[in-house]
Amino acid sequence: MEIEKGKTAKYLKEKRPVPKQVTEQLKYFTKIKKNILNALKEGDKTVPQLAEVLNLPKDEVLFQLMSLLKYGFVETGEIDDMDEFFYYKIKSNGKN
Amino acid sequence: MQEPKKILKYDVLVIGGGIAGGESAINLANLGYKVLLVEKELSIGGKMILLSKVFPTLDCAACITTPKVSEIARHPNITIFTSAEVTEITKKDEHQFEAIVLQKPRYVNVADCTGCQLCEQACPVNVTDEYQYGLVGRKAAYIPFSIASPRAAAIDIDNCTLCGACERACPTKCIDFTQTDEEYLVKVKSVVVATGFKLFDPLKIPRYGFDKCKNVITSMQMERELAPTRPFNTILRPGDGKMPDNIAYVLCTGSRDKSVGNPICSQICCMYSIKQAQLLMGALPMADITIYYLHIRAFGKGFNEFYAQAQDMGVEFVKGKVGKISEKENGNLILRYEDIEEGVVKEAEHDMVVLSVGVLPNQGIDEVFDNQKLQLDPFHFVNQSDILASPAKTSIEGVFVAGTASGPMDIPDSILSGGAASAETTSYLRRANQ
Ligand SMILES: Cc1cc2nc3c(=O)[nH]c(=O)nc-3n(C[C@H](O)[C@H](O)[C@H](O)COP(=O)(O)OP(=O)(O)OC[C@H]3O[C@@H](n4cnc5c(N)ncnc54)[C@H](O)[C@@H]3O)c2cc1C
Ligand code: SF4
Repeated sequence: MEIEKGKTAKYLKEKRPVPKQVTEQLKYFTKIKKNILNALKEGDKTVPQLAEVLNLPKDEVLFQLMSLLKYGFVETGEIDDMDEFFYYKIKSNGKN
Repeated sequence: MQEPKKILKYDVLVIGGGIAGGESAINLANLGYKVLLVEKELSIGGKMILLSKVFPTLDCAACITTPKVSEIARHPNITIFTSAEVTEITKKDEHQFEAIVLQKPRYVNVADCTGCQLCEQACPVNVTDEYQYGLVGRKAAYIPFSIASPRAAAIDIDNCTLCGACERACPTKCIDFTQTDEEYLVKVKSVVVATGFKLFDPLKIPRYGFDKCKNVITSMQMERELAPTRPFNTILRPGDGKMPDNIAYVLCTGSRDKSVGNPICSQICCMYSIKQAQLLMGALPMADITIYYLHIRAFGKGFNEFYAQAQDMGVEFVKGKVGKISEKENGNLILRYEDIEEGVVKEAEHDMVVLSVGVLPNQGIDEVFDNQKLQLDPFHFVNQSDILASPAKTSIEGVFVAGTASGPMDIPDSILSGGAASAETTSYLRRANQ
């Protein structure tokens, strides 16, 4: 098989099938990303608020939310009145 | 075994690209020796490059490490292999060592990568970022961290869906999934072992609740939370994103503890905890910080003053042995401890707990030597066979040890030890030329 520069993933895919768990992991992240962004479109939220809406553990929400912050989808808003939890919001010039 | 493809020749092989190995390499290179530096991770810099600030001066760790690391990377006498391991070393004769070095594929041609991160943006995958000690995610096509050296992308093949998005996004077409393992036969005159240390795994003390209680973290995780390239927008509890205001440190986690197989003092945890406490007081001015300790080891230059400074700032020091940590429904933690001064068992509530994990040997390097024995000390660090007169000397003539590979120590001592290893290596190499 001829290998073209810039299109080598195809070559490895033939030699080394992608494990199922890796595809499942991608599906999970795609879904959770969509759900978090949709929830934030409805209004800015803290981690406990997101966890309640999404019915997910708070630590899991924080991990995924901070990943989205790192990737530039989400930004930090104000802190709540008790100075405990930040609100997070869709990044205004984000890639959504 | 398949014949190594390429034969390479250097004066010295340095194993481990942390601050100690880096210091040895740069000294030797400045004297004109050709050095091969082999690092198993994607970047050189070791643990230090991931720290926030350093005790006792509170200098920014990245500001010190970055220029040093780039000096090493740019030096004409130093060749660096990252994602590489030494699998075998044979001493053929005095001043003649042969090593097999296995270069693992990065799936990126480093020389052509501009570090533009377009591959990272295109990659759809999210997995745990090991360089942020699990606190946040990263892509499968990723630059390990912003000050990594080389600052080049890598593909985490085990988590890659081979969708090809990174390749399509890469403007220089430097991603290459056809890369495979490469083996080299490296001929050198001397070897420096600078393989560093590993951190104690707090899962070995289940009563401290690490992993189960999400707001119990390790000191290395707190180090990341305090660094400018932190995983969160500020210091937060990983359990629910709350900004903590009452943080406890548990010193000697996995050190001076026979029950976990590590009876010795890790030497750095007292000081790095005092450092973190000071940094936290700066970052969270309203927070209370309590340090539970058995003894405070503040033995170095300026350390005792640094300890006193923390006390003056209001850090609370409790001489107490923590027995158990349990979680309340709101994520707060109950510490059950023996107050050593009063001789009674007490309980205290905190909203976050940092386990000051100890220093353990990075085992396995002795197994690489095939016809000579690299002796280890009773705690499995590389044995210094003449610790007073020649601290870098090991049981094999021509093989020297630098930094925490020989035992727990801080950065200044690791640099001194790297310097000693380079001096002793030089003296050994000069004997070859006589
Ligand atoms: C939480 C925390 C905070 C700290 N804060 C401070 C501080 O404020 N001030 C201070 O002075 N010290 C501090 N320290 C201590 C400091 O990190 C160490 O002193 C220093 O990193 C030791 O450097 P080293 O080069 O010996 O080891 P390491 O940093 O461990 O480097 C060893 C290198 O060798 C590589 N390696 C290992 N095995 C192999 C192999 N088989 N083949 C190839 N490569 C290999 C590793 O990947 C690594 O890059 C802190 C430590 C911790 C854990
Ligand atoms: S691999 Fe390509 S896209 Fe990724 S950082 Fe390197 S040059 Fe940029």
